[in-house]
Amino acid sequence: MTLLVQAIWGGVLFGAVYGLMALGLTLVWGAVRFLNLAHGAIFTVGAYAAYWVVSSLNLPILIALPFGVLVAAAFSYLMHLALIRPVLGKPGFDNSTLIATVGISISVSAAAILIFNPEYKVVPAVLPGYFVISGVQITNQGLLVIATSLALFLLVYLFLTYTRQGMAVRAVSQQMEAASLMSIPVERTYGMVIAISGALAGLAGVLLSPFFFLNPNSGFNPMIQALIVTIFGGLGSIRGALVAGFVLGIFESFVEVFYGVAWAQPGVFVLIILMLILRPNGLFGIGEVRRL
Amino acid sequence: MSSVTVAAPTRPALDEAAAPWKRVPLYAIGGTIVGGIVLPLVLVRLDIGTYLITLLILFFIQAVVAQAWNLIMGYGGIYSFAQVALFAVGGWTSGVLVHSLGWNPFVAVLFSPIVAAIAALGIGLPTLRLRGVYVVLLTLAFHQLARVFTVTGPRFISGGGYGLVTVQTFSFGDNVIGDQRTIYLYYLAGFMFAIATFVIWRVIHSPLGVAVSALRDSETYGVSRGINQFRIRLLLFVISAFFTGLAGGYATHYNGGISTTIFDFPRIIDLLAMIVIGGWGTFAGPILGAGIVIGLDQYLVALGDYRELLLGLIIAGIAVFAPQGLWPVIRGLYEKYLAPEAPPPPAPARSEGTS
Repeated sequence: MTLLVQAIWGGVLFGAVYGLMALGLTLVWGAVRFLNLAHGAIFTVGAYAAYWVVSSLNLPILIALPFGVLVAAAFSYLMHLALIRPVLGKPGFDNSTLIATVGISISVSAAAILIFNPEYKVVPAVLPGYFVISGVQITNQGLLVIATSLALFLLVYLFLTYTRQGMAVRAVSQQMEAASLMSIPVERTYGMVIAISGALAGLAGVLLSPFFFLNPNSGFNPMIQALIVTIFGGLGSIRGALVAGFVLGIFESFVEVFYGVAWAQPGVFVLIILMLILRPNGLFGIGEVRRL
Repeated sequence: MSSVTVAAPTRPALDEAAAPWKRVPLYAIGGTIVGGIVLPLVLVRLDIGTYLITLLILFFIQAVVAQAWNLIMGYGGIYSFAQVALFAVGGWTSGVLVHSLGWNPFVAVLFSPIVAAIAALGIGLPTLRLRGVYVVLLTLAFHQLARVFTVTGPRFISGGGYGLVTVQTFSFGDNVIGDQRTIYLYYLAGFMFAIATFVIWRVIHSPLGVAVSALRDSETYGVSRGINQFRIRLLLFVISAFFTGLAGGYATHYNGGISTTIFDFPRIIDLLAMIVIGGWGTFAGPILGAGIVIGLDQYLVALGDYRELLLGLIIAGIAVFAPQGLWPVIRGLYEKYLAPEAPPPPAPARSEGTS
């Protein structure tokens, strides 16, 4: 019983975490059609910004959290201005942005080593404390992550469906030329999507660091997991990211609890390879025509 | 009964004038080879000569890996991030054969490329039918799996959490030591580099290479002309892995071990920097890039952690603002000022006489 509860709790928590990371990634892919390999770096930027506020300014984490999110969004927007806008719509866009984002993530982790140091940092939990259900320790921070993740999925969904800005994003993602003919500011829309995605990554960074600790490369693994979730759910599909996050999280957690930690990652990889063979577009993949 | 016999499809004769190997003067190749052979004999008489020779060996190893990566990434458009993992496969193969089975390093190193090629087949079969992003993910996944396996795998293979730390190095007999041994190692690495460069050059200029470029430039057109995309990409991937594995095997016996730190990000960064700085999708680009990165490395090391910050920014900057890299620039300069006999420019139609 304890094992089962542990597996389910771990799975739901992992699922929420993966979903939170994958949401930003899938949003950018769906709208701008570029794979942001700097997503993990933005995660790190947000987490370090919050850590800096907490450790150097001695402010509570509740102030550090929005600060981290804002810094991550600003960083992401700057990246858009410097590296993505210049090549928008040009041939070789995929190439350039893919390599450029790898370059950015290299620089961010190097900068993190320079400004802070390579040691592991502890970002305090927003909601400390825990309670115990049948021998399994359930942290309040974990519950907060799950709630935040679900709420953000809902928010992003509502944003895309009902607001003017959201409709602009969908229009641009479907037909860039037509959208710009309808006087939708394409570049600004892209910038907005990238900034939102950055904010989501930053939020994930601040909320998840109490679980994983913070070091200059700590964004890498969450990013890989987010990539897997995004592809499993179908690139560019928000519903897919949500479902796939929980499916993969629970799968990984069960493998981990019943077969050992060493098999968790290989198991997930086997699952994703099977998925790509059976349904190359992912769970909710919608091909090339409609996204988001 | 029709008496018309269907003629077998004939290929048009190869245009000899267009053959790329005719464009490279034999003197240049011969000069490079002779220079490469004589160079260590001269260098060894200098004070820092041995150091320079070891730098050159490092250059040979890295250039082979960078060229192989460029072959699939720059030419093939396959965003494989499994390059370092394949290098490690080669290294571990040879390392295990020597370390755990007691083989001779010279024999064991021959098996590295073969095993790496088989591993590439294993990665390629599920991966290469997919497109860009999926390939990135699955190859990164392979990288992670290989790392996990080397750290936690059976001791017989992984050698424990730090990798294979004591593998017998190449030995050329008991009386070959010191500088003499370094020179022999240099020749071995140079030989490997020469073979890899030659084969990759031929691959690029073969029908296979032309098909690859066609697929990269316009996939729809290439496929509609009857190119089997999957087969071509798989073949290219295996060729690339072959030389990557060879370099890995050599590096293991050169360094006397292979550590799990090889999977750390800096290795990928260095290789990527070589390709991007030198020239993405050009033949000489990665060689030039390897030369630049390794040549500058001793100065960059002094920068400490700023080194990676700088490399990352350079990669990002070049990728966006000069995606061609440095090689086309140098080539342009060469053709402008030094090329022996430039083809006569097409005479412009004169509309008005000036003098």
